[in-house]
Amino acid sequence: MTKKKSILADQRFIVLLVIIALVVIYMIFSPEFRKYSSILSMLDFSYYDVLMAIGVTFPLITAGVDLSIGTGMVCYALCAGRLIRDFNCPVLVAMLICVLFGTVVGFVNGNLIGVMGLPPFLATLCTCMITRGISSMVMATPWPTNKQPGGWFHSIFKLTFGSGRNALKLPIGFVIVVALVLLMEFVLNHTKFGRYTIAIGSNKEAVILSGINVKFYHVMAYTICGMFAGLAAIAYAAVVPTVQPGTGAGLELDAIGGVFVGGVSATGGYGSVLGTLAGVFVIVLLKTGLPYVGLQANWQQIITGMVLIGAVMIDVAKRRRMAKEQ
Amino acid sequence: MKKKVLATLLSAAMVMSLLAGCGGTAAQPAAEPAAQEAAPAEEAAPAEEAAPAEEAAPAEEAAPAEEAAPAEDAPAATGGSGEYTGGTQFDGVTAKEAYKFPVDVKSFQSTYWQAALKGMDMAKAELGVDYDAHGPNSESDIADQVNMLNSDINSNPPGIALAACDTNSVLDSLKDCADKKIPVVCFDTGVADAPEGSVVATVATDNTQAGEVAAENMYKALKDVIAGADKQVRIGEINQDATALNIQQRGMGFVNKITDLIVADGKTVAVVGNEFYANEAKKAHSDLADEKSADVVIEVAVPAQTTVELCSAQAQAILSKEDTIGVFGSNQTAAEGLLAADANLSLLGTDAAAGDVIGVGFDAGSIIKGAISDGTMYGAVTQSPLMMGYYAIYALTMAANGDKVEDFPTAGYWYDASNMDDATIAPNLYD
Amino acid sequence: MADAILVMEDIDKSFPGVHALDHVHFDVRSGEVHALMGENGAGKSTLMKVLTGIYSKDSGTITYEGKEVAFTNTREAQDAGIVIVHQELNMVGDLTVAQNIFIGREFMKGFAIDDKKMIEESKKLFDELHIDINPRDKMSDLTVGKQQMCEIAKAISHQAKVIIFDEPSAALTEKEIEDLFVIIRDLREKGLAIVYISHRMDEIKVITDRVTVMRDGGYVGTLITKDCTKEDIINMMVGRVIYEDPKTESKVPKDAPVVLKVEHLNAGRMVQDVSFERRKGEILGFSGLMGAGRTETARALFGADPKTSGDIYVNGEKVTINSPQDAVKHGIGYLSEDRKRYGIVVQKTITENSTLASLDNYMSGFFINKSEEKKVTEKYIQELATKTPSSDQLVVNLSGGNQQKVVIAKWLVRNCDILIFDEPTRGIDVGAKNEIYKLMNKLASEGKSIIMISSEMTEILRMSDRIVVMCEGKKTGELDISEATQEKIMDKATRDIA
Repeated sequence: MTKKKSILADQRFIVLLVIIALVVIYMIFSPEFRKYSSILSMLDFSYYDVLMAIGVTFPLITAGVDLSIGTGMVCYALCAGRLIRDFNCPVLVAMLICVLFGTVVGFVNGNLIGVMGLPPFLATLCTCMITRGISSMVMATPWPTNKQPGGWFHSIFKLTFGSGRNALKLPIGFVIVVALVLLMEFVLNHTKFGRYTIAIGSNKEAVILSGINVKFYHVMAYTICGMFAGLAAIAYAAVVPTVQPGTGAGLELDAIGGVFVGGVSATGGYGSVLGTLAGVFVIVLLKTGLPYVGLQANWQQIITGMVLIGAVMIDVAKRRRMAKEQ
Repeated sequence: MKKKVLATLLSAAMVMSLLAGCGGTAAQPAAEPAAQEAAPAEEAAPAEEAAPAEEAAPAEEAAPAEEAAPAEDAPAATGGSGEYTGGTQFDGVTAKEAYKFPVDVKSFQSTYWQAALKGMDMAKAELGVDYDAHGPNSESDIADQVNMLNSDINSNPPGIALAACDTNSVLDSLKDCADKKIPVVCFDTGVADAPEGSVVATVATDNTQAGEVAAENMYKALKDVIAGADKQVRIGEINQDATALNIQQRGMGFVNKITDLIVADGKTVAVVGNEFYANEAKKAHSDLADEKSADVVIEVAVPAQTTVELCSAQAQAILSKEDTIGVFGSNQTAAEGLLAADANLSLLGTDAAAGDVIGVGFDAGSIIKGAISDGTMYGAVTQSPLMMGYYAIYALTMAANGDKVEDFPTAGYWYDASNMDDATIAPNLYD
Repeated sequence: MADAILVMEDIDKSFPGVHALDHVHFDVRSGEVHALMGENGAGKSTLMKVLTGIYSKDSGTITYEGKEVAFTNTREAQDAGIVIVHQELNMVGDLTVAQNIFIGREFMKGFAIDDKKMIEESKKLFDELHIDINPRDKMSDLTVGKQQMCEIAKAISHQAKVIIFDEPSAALTEKEIEDLFVIIRDLREKGLAIVYISHRMDEIKVITDRVTVMRDGGYVGTLITKDCTKEDIINMMVGRVIYEDPKTESKVPKDAPVVLKVEHLNAGRMVQDVSFERRKGEILGFSGLMGAGRTETARALFGADPKTSGDIYVNGEKVTINSPQDAVKHGIGYLSEDRKRYGIVVQKTITENSTLASLDNYMSGFFINKSEEKKVTEKYIQELATKTPSSDQLVVNLSGGNQQKVVIAKWLVRNCDILIFDEPTRGIDVGAKNEIYKLMNKLASEGKSIIMISSEMTEILRMSDRIVVMCEGKKTGELDISEATQEKIMDKATRDIA
């Protein structure tokens, strides 16, 4: 009855191969991509995607979705930036406010969905619009640059020694997001919250009838997601020179796409945060890497779409196999 | 909301007092542009090639796009003063009634539009008229803007000021305006194919000229490097898209002008990258070399979406090439993308001879201003959103009065660390 | 007798690691009802899937009306006249009866669907079958039994020559089964060949002419029904005698403490003023026809559905139960009739399912103590004799009986004293049924209290100490096992029905 785990059963392995293949192809065709600075830039622009994706992994595993993370992220970054510029708010406090704001929006989403029973797509579409509306009322705001007071927060993601062309830059943000990924992978597999999140996605009714406070865990899943959108806002503000009001729509799709590429089941009930990390990197590589090989950037979206189809087809094949075995 | 209104009022008040301070003639609209133009004219160095080329008199026909015919005798100046003053058509204009005009901007996204609104506030105070600004969440929300425009039309206003997100999508609505005899003043962006009788005047930057200004100034910095290069060198251009008319004009203004300048100095040029721009360049120049043999390669990149991160990825790819000596980012997003890409490379600087890559930006914003003042970015071209907003209201008032209004092109001005604090430049450099 | 219309000879089929069909023989003649029996996993369904083209066979021949055939999908089989009436009904609830019957082959009037003609045709079909269903009714408004009738009508409308009934009675009440049999006999008269797959021995004896028994993917033998006994068939199926006699009297003392008392429970139309009490160690049977409100009573009691009024006392203390959470807190566990939907998380392991309701006890700080979890799961795998290679097995890979044991384990791990079994043996084969019965008796003797909802009369009579009978949302009677008979129960269960 126990089956050998086939390669198909672990999508993460395939995704890893895709990443390696992409990097190798880029490196062969583009001498520029081989530069350390290119890797640095790619990483710079990956952190907020990864953070959003870690968060949204949880709603997706419950068979829900959170569409508000992209516009939410921009909204939190803008509001916090405004506080720094206009109210002399210390950067550390502004960062906490980002996370807090995100957590609150996540909590609202969770209540709309888990308690009031709105469909996740609809509920988060609403908060997506609301956060976008709020952010378009706030003027475009850059957070402090590296050289300005308060610019220290950039070194959360990239430690810089020296200055100018020969400065040594260490992408410690990568270490941080990997640590967060491992932490959340552990949470997913070894805590009640994680266990119930998966169980809700797999069979919510059974979990309710097991006497578990499903509402609470449902709300938790979205709250965690919102919190990570708040963290992503900090990473976003660290790389994007001027956060533009009213933007952010569509950014969530990179993260959600990455989660699916990473093997979270499109119908919920299965997923891993490690897979999410790998999946997001596929998306990031396609997004930021293709210009190096001289492909017009429109191809990025076409290819990303095709990769997603591939990922979802693996999921479908997997389920079909399971159904047959049943 | 309250805060925003307050902020707008406060800044408007500040700008007004500033203008009052320098000119003392703030009440007379015509006086200001003159003051504004005076300074830029000085630093428009490359004197021999008769610059931007508009006939001195306010163009009769014509969105800025069409008036690019070179005129040898035009004042050799960046945005040379004469043609951008708008003559005297706004002299002594007063509003016959307390009009209230709807204003449709592309978005409230960047402070660029905030500056335009500041200008409108100035005009509003002087003329005793009022305006009501609407805008979609982002410049790509074309349908939203068309809806806003249509609901404005339905309220039968005395006139509408429009900065169209997409020039094709507003044509039907403009037809309605023509039918209803509502005068429309386009600002920032002209609508080339506007139906007869709808658009009475266009108040917009001459984008071709603005791109040329960027090219002239970049070439100044690179001239010696190009002349002394023993192998191929590369100049990059990052354009946010290949569809918006203003970006197209700016991009081609830059490409054509810098090509002319290089070819005039006896070198060969190839234009590669985005198909639209490469093809346009081929149309404009029959003498382009192919990519392999050219002394200078101009590479034009366009991201898939108009986001900073994708602009940055494109900029990164160009900056990383060993032979790149200069890059132009043709709007705020593209210029910031260029700066973001340089964050890990630190190649940009102001000393081309020492191996710095010359970065030239467009528009303002605190990031670009900061980069210019600290010597990362060589300089940038700014539009005058303030003046555009200001004159849009004047043009509307005249139209509502029933008077004939002329198109009013405004110039792009070069600024760098040396002049960005000048009283004539600073007001346009929004944060 | 006539020659067989359908002959399957030497059918062989392997899946990776499983020899699902081992040279199986099966035939059916026009004008007969032929039972196909065997425990779950014996290969009945696989054989039928091979017949209708869902699976391809590895070897063997299928001869239909004298010609060798190999259908590649159900549509082809259907067009040839071989139709399956599934255990799980394949009806679209939001469409009408007529729309369902003609789905995929709607009558058209130009570009528009000709609903009128579909309704007329449906009427004709129902008249032919002597079924009283309005073709205009919405499918979801019909009872399960009536929906099944519609399935049959749909099959007939395909000009079927062979109809395969896959456990048709599983969801039906006794009365509905009677109706079904009338129809089946009618079809037999008309000369159709009928394959009848069921676990229910009584039905086999009543309705079928021949019985073919399968075991572990192999063909065991074919008997003439009237010439054999129940025991013959069961012995062929499992190789051992398994039926126990009904309980005759309760072993629970009359003065045993009342552990659960429900007073005047009301919850919508289906639960009206239901009161009962249950003593320690007792198995309380809930009998009644489908739709009598038994499941609804249990769900209201468990807090799964809202109740409008009523008091619940656990061990003499009045308790508030507004959610399953509250119920579990008071030691009440509910085993749903629909395991896959409500009972288990199928894509998760036995361990995860077993501790689902009681993770609190298996935490060290923030984290789940997986070794403790595994230990307790394995303890119950042993105690309940769950057949599985390991506690890491996905529940989806277990048989129905073993899945049921996992659900039982879930509540035992939670230490629930009051267990509500809703149709505990539905879809479970005979051998495993017996194990579940034993288990329930053992639990009762250990002092757990059990409510058992069942539609099978034999099950009720065999297991219960006392029997509560419900009809249309009301409690219509309560019988001690010593006085209960099928007739008495049926009388109360149909009391309000004209």
